[in-house]
Amino acid sequence: MGIPIEKLKPKRVRKNIELTLWERLYIFEIIRGVTITTKHFVTNLIGFVLPPKGEKRSIITVYYPDEKVTLPAAYRGRPVLVARDNGTEKCVACGLCEKICPASAITIIAEERESGERYPASYTLDMSRCVYCGYCEEVCPKEAIVMSAEYEGLAKRDRNNLRYSKEMLLRSEKSVKDRIEYIRGIYSKCNY
Amino acid sequence: MIPDLIESILKILFIFGVNIGFFSPILGWVERKQSALMQDRVGANRADIFGFTIIGLFHPIADAIKVLTKEDFIPDGADRLIHTIAPFVSLTPAIIAFAVIPFGGQYELFGHKVNLIIADLDVGILFIFAFASLGSFGAVLGGWASNNNWSFLGGLRASAQMLSYEVVMGLNIIGVIMVYGTLRLSEIGAMQVDLFDWGIFLQPVGFVLFFTCAIAENKRAPFDVAEAESELVAGYFTEYSGLKFVMFWMGEFLEIVTISALVTTMFFGAWHLPFVSDKMLVDFFLGFAGDNGATILAMVVNIITFFAKVVFFIWLQMTIRWTLPRFRYDQVMRLGWKMFLPIALINIFITGLVLLVK
Amino acid sequence: MSDSAKDLHSEHMVINMGPSHPVTHGTVKFLLTLEGETIVDMKVDIGYLHRGFEKMCENGTWEQVMPYTDRLNYVSPLINNVGYALAVEKLIDIDVPERCKYIRVIASELARISDHYTNIAASGLELGAFTAFLYFVEARELIWDLIEMMCGARVTSNYVRIGGIKNDLPDGFKTKARESFKRCRQLWADVDKLLTKNRIFIDRVRDVGIMPPDEAIAWGFTGPCLRACGIPYDVRKFHPYLVYDQMDFEVPVGAKGDNFDRYLVRMEEINQSMRIVEQAMEKIPSGPINVDMPEYRWQSKDDIGNRIESLIFHFKTVIEGIKPPKGEIYSAVEGANGELGFYLVSDGSGKPYKCRVRPPCFPLTAAMPRMVKGGFIADIVPTFDMINMIGGECDR
Repeated sequence: MGIPIEKLKPKRVRKNIELTLWERLYIFEIIRGVTITTKHFVTNLIGFVLPPKGEKRSIITVYYPDEKVTLPAAYRGRPVLVARDNGTEKCVACGLCEKICPASAITIIAEERESGERYPASYTLDMSRCVYCGYCEEVCPKEAIVMSAEYEGLAKRDRNNLRYSKEMLLRSEKSVKDRIEYIRGIYSKCNY
Repeated sequence: MIPDLIESILKILFIFGVNIGFFSPILGWVERKQSALMQDRVGANRADIFGFTIIGLFHPIADAIKVLTKEDFIPDGADRLIHTIAPFVSLTPAIIAFAVIPFGGQYELFGHKVNLIIADLDVGILFIFAFASLGSFGAVLGGWASNNNWSFLGGLRASAQMLSYEVVMGLNIIGVIMVYGTLRLSEIGAMQVDLFDWGIFLQPVGFVLFFTCAIAENKRAPFDVAEAESELVAGYFTEYSGLKFVMFWMGEFLEIVTISALVTTMFFGAWHLPFVSDKMLVDFFLGFAGDNGATILAMVVNIITFFAKVVFFIWLQMTIRWTLPRFRYDQVMRLGWKMFLPIALINIFITGLVLLVK
Repeated sequence: MSDSAKDLHSEHMVINMGPSHPVTHGTVKFLLTLEGETIVDMKVDIGYLHRGFEKMCENGTWEQVMPYTDRLNYVSPLINNVGYALAVEKLIDIDVPERCKYIRVIASELARISDHYTNIAASGLELGAFTAFLYFVEARELIWDLIEMMCGARVTSNYVRIGGIKNDLPDGFKTKARESFKRCRQLWADVDKLLTKNRIFIDRVRDVGIMPPDEAIAWGFTGPCLRACGIPYDVRKFHPYLVYDQMDFEVPVGAKGDNFDRYLVRMEEINQSMRIVEQAMEKIPSGPINVDMPEYRWQSKDDIGNRIESLIFHFKTVIEGIKPPKGEIYSAVEGANGELGFYLVSDGSGKPYKCRVRPPCFPLTAAMPRMVKGGFIADIVPTFDMINMIGGECDR
């Protein structure tokens, strides 16, 4: 077929077409299977009483909501607006996040202050449309919207409560400082 | 007369209490927790009373409350009478079969002979097979009465499978009966005093075949083609909910206990501890408890031994259920008729030869 | 049996193995005509998961399509991302840096491993082997933890960009990958011992769903199902892309084309993919991970703040979209199910004129009646599982 067989390296996985005698007698493989599951059973049972070092039990289940999972730094949770120290948002209503959002979840109405600075008079993020892709964070030139690590409380009982206004989205810069550090790291020139 | 009556009532109450009161709810919990530990996860452990969750033991109570408060509906076009009685027909044989299984030996208590078996019939084992056959009606009636194509397929499969495996199970037992020479289960149990008189050493092939056929009769995995969850949604009990569904399930669990008890009685020494006979046990306790007290203590030890062995076989059946994939329907039939039947016949032949030579 | 049946007035039963059925996990409908338990005829109906992917692509810009491709084959989303990015880069005719290629290879192979885990676990589940299912789900969790470390989400990864990738590998990725692979290999050995030689499992999958090699090519099979028939076609070897020609791996090939071969081929591919990831992590060079072309790839935040050219192009590409030259190409990658192809038509504007996906599981699902006719209902279960029909991919 045009490619030398040494470069293609096919590997036969089917060792025998007919059943071997060992496989034909059901009982041996059944006993082997039962020993494997018994081994897991006994290991996990002992793992409750004598857990391995540094953990509470040998099973990897996390007892949510009593225990929480440690999320990696890259985790993309709910998008939030970053507020400056005086409480106003950093957002300058440039409209890039509105244009890039693949789900058209963001709606901005921009206005100017007397000092000439732009700001969003209304910023609506429809959480029922957001797909948590992270594009808004990626294109924002001012680090004004970041994907926080919040994953709780994302579901509401009424669809109208899912349209988040600017006030519901604001967070202080201190509370999202980890995420801002992370995006400064990955979007800096040396890592690009 | 009166002591006999009291004895019978106590025995019935004990077996009922152990079976329906203890084993049924606990087996549900055991299935969840054992399968969870085998599969590297934690089972159900959230049901609590006042904040105490004792490793999920309150879940059977929660299940019972949920089941009793569910709507009991009969689907359109279904035959109302048959739909209602099918679960009863499935559950009753499982409970009754325990009437002839001995859970202890014969003792002399307060001058009265006590035989720890509810009904010591002449035809012992055959009584159990008779009722197991009646149990197959439940599956068939349930499948037919649901007016649902998939349930109907499940009922058909169940009927064919149960009938075939009853035949083979009967042939397997003949070896045991030939070796011990009696149909009474209490006598079979009493004859297994010495460790090398146990059925497992005298009839190893019979044990493997009987265990497998009994699991097939019970329609548990790997033979659960009748209720194959992925093909037929839930097979012949798709259209059941609430208490009727629980009766089907309870019938299955109680049959697990019955199978374990039968296997223990016939192959694993019934209530005997290895190398310890009944008389030795009574003599051991005679020193500090007096005549009647020693008998009672010996009785208790024997009952505990019996139930410990039953628990081991329940654990083994649960492990097998969660380890193995399930057969295809025609492979189940082929296994029963073309593989197990000849092996059972050869087993009888060889047993006969050995007995003749001895 | 058939002679006596002629006198009986019996009808074939038409039964609907409908979109909501525990086996048809991809929402597909089978209309079965049964005689007893034997299948006489079968019709396949797809489209229950059609969401209009190709139409949505025409409404968004080239970059906005990337999260949509995540949702095509939703058990191995990184491969879809890589496939689409490679197709657009072929249209624009740019080449990404070396480090980016190695990281894309690592991402593809991790997604492939998780896809094969999911598939074999689901087959085990539907054949009744619950424990094998949960062991592979635990292994898949470990792989997803690695992917989450890389890109921030376990399934909707949105990791690859046109002209590069979103971010570099995090610190500690190599050690975590080594630990996870150790545990994954243990679980692989356990499932292998539970299933591969177990006669109950073998009887379910052997000689069931056979497809002879010449017919397989005629139907358009690719991927593990074609390799199970004995034909060693793998896009990574025949038309190497990224750095696969520098990786040392073998292509598992089956003998007969039945379900058992497909299972064995997938199990062996998991091992080969882990080999590729380990080799890539050793050989990966340092360097940039994005191409330095502001008109096609958003630049770093330092540049946007400081270089006016980057800022202008940033705004232009976000609002109007990147503008590949006019033309049309077809580009294929080796998806977990087979050859995943993208056929793109560009008219020079910022939105795709046409973005057509060649789903690998479409011909496989179409060939289901051929593989299953004459068998039992119980044979549909392993055959449909081993094909690995993913609804999002087949129906788009």
